[in-house]
Amino acid sequence: MKKNKVILILLIAIGFANCAEEKHKFPIEKRFWDLNDYDKAILDLRFGYLNDEKKPTFDDPEQRIIVEKLTDEQNFKVVLDDTELGLKHKNKVATEFFSHWKDMSSIYQERDRKDMYVYGKEMLAVWQFGLGLQLRYFKLGNDETIEGSDDPNSKEIRNLVNSNVNTLSTNYTYYLSLVNEEKSLTKKEQDIYANGISKYFTDLVELYPNAKYDSLKEKASLMLNKTESNSIKSALTKLIALIDSKKVKKE
Amino acid sequence: MNENLIAALILLIYFSPIFYQLIIVIRESKKGNKLPLKKLYQFLKISMLILIPSVVFFFIISHTNYFNYQKPMKFSEYDKITFDNFRGLNFFKKSLYGNTRFAYIVTSIDTNIDKDSVSIDALFHPSRSFVYNKKTYSKDLLSHEKYHFKITELFVRKAKERISKLKTKNKSNIDYILNSIEKEESKYQQEYDYNTFHSYVHSEQKRYEREIDSLLTLLNHFKKSKITLHEKK
Repeated sequence: MKKNKVILILLIAIGFANCAEEKHKFPIEKRFWDLNDYDKAILDLRFGYLNDEKKPTFDDPEQRIIVEKLTDEQNFKVVLDDTELGLKHKNKVATEFFSHWKDMSSIYQERDRKDMYVYGKEMLAVWQFGLGLQLRYFKLGNDETIEGSDDPNSKEIRNLVNSNVNTLSTNYTYYLSLVNEEKSLTKKEQDIYANGISKYFTDLVELYPNAKYDSLKEKASLMLNKTESNSIKSALTKLIALIDSKKVKKE
Repeated sequence: MNENLIAALILLIYFSPIFYQLIIVIRESKKGNKLPLKKLYQFLKISMLILIPSVVFFFIISHTNYFNYQKPMKFSEYDKITFDNFRGLNFFKKSLYGNTRFAYIVTSIDTNIDKDSVSIDALFHPSRSFVYNKKTYSKDLLSHEKYHFKITELFVRKAKERISKLKTKNKSNIDYILNSIEKEESKYQQEYDYNTFHSYVHSEQKRYEREIDSLLTLLNHFKKSKITLHEKK
């Protein structure tokens, strides 16, 4: 009987010790997150939270570091922009980051009963992380194609490179589709969204000034007509002007 | 299971005879029986006599692996260093920022001040340095660790340069230089690890390698371990 009591006390102690363990663990002290860290963090953020459990947000002073780390572009830039590393290695890392980003996209998609995004800022940060990443991912892919080809100026290679740039441009267009959901974003979130257009689309057009942006421009024009947000209107107008300016230079 | 929990459980099991004895002591003391108390002291004494030397032994071995000992290597043997020389044991650290494939190197500055000369050497301590797997073929990891040794050598040469420039080459002045050099070296080592993020930031790693190599070349004049304090006239 007494032995049973001792065993019971021991079991309770073990139980308490296990409860005291942190439920969600993220490597927040780590300067850069690598692919392994993303693996674990994405898995936890996607499936480790209960339905009504709050996920890390920018507004939460204790948890904001998690979402800041998750969406920190330095995590991929430190590898993909490293001039000392090999192209193949960087491409491999970029491909894996891209695959992880696709998984990340579903983390902050939740909406409330008014159709508002519960995690609007975080959802946009994940989107913008992906825009910055794709710019490098597609460039590295094209660089490797050119490097590995017998004749980089051949029609076949040029078509392949252009086709990749068109895919990148199409992927960027999906971000513009968010204008259709602008009512689900707060005013502040709309401004963050507009900043994303100004920053990342400018980077895209500046990196590939000779690419065809007809469908992107058409989409931007349609969204410009639709949006009610001044900041989004301004960002889209600037984007259209930038595309036009590159066209004029080509002519 | 949590590592702390495992340690607590082991201690709990180890001390379970004492806890059991303690229960008996409490129960019997009410009846005025002092015999179990004596027994408890005996149990406690035996347990501590086994535990304390075991813990001390454990800490000594994790500091320097005397089971696979190799004496410290001088910088002149730098090119011979491979992961085979990383013979230290590691019981506490299982990963470095979540990465289980890690290594660390232990280096030191060894000084010997004589009447007419001072010898300063950078030493690499094989039996205190650790690698997760001696057979690993990770050039980048080995190179990163070995550059820690080069940094130590760099500051050793800096110390010799500063000592050679001293007007009054007495012990206190030399000690002052050696103390400040050790602090500078430690700061530089930390910066090296931070900026390269333990070799993860490859461009930074290469930048440091270039910088350290060129500084070592600049101080080639101070390659020898011994410097004479008072030149014969």
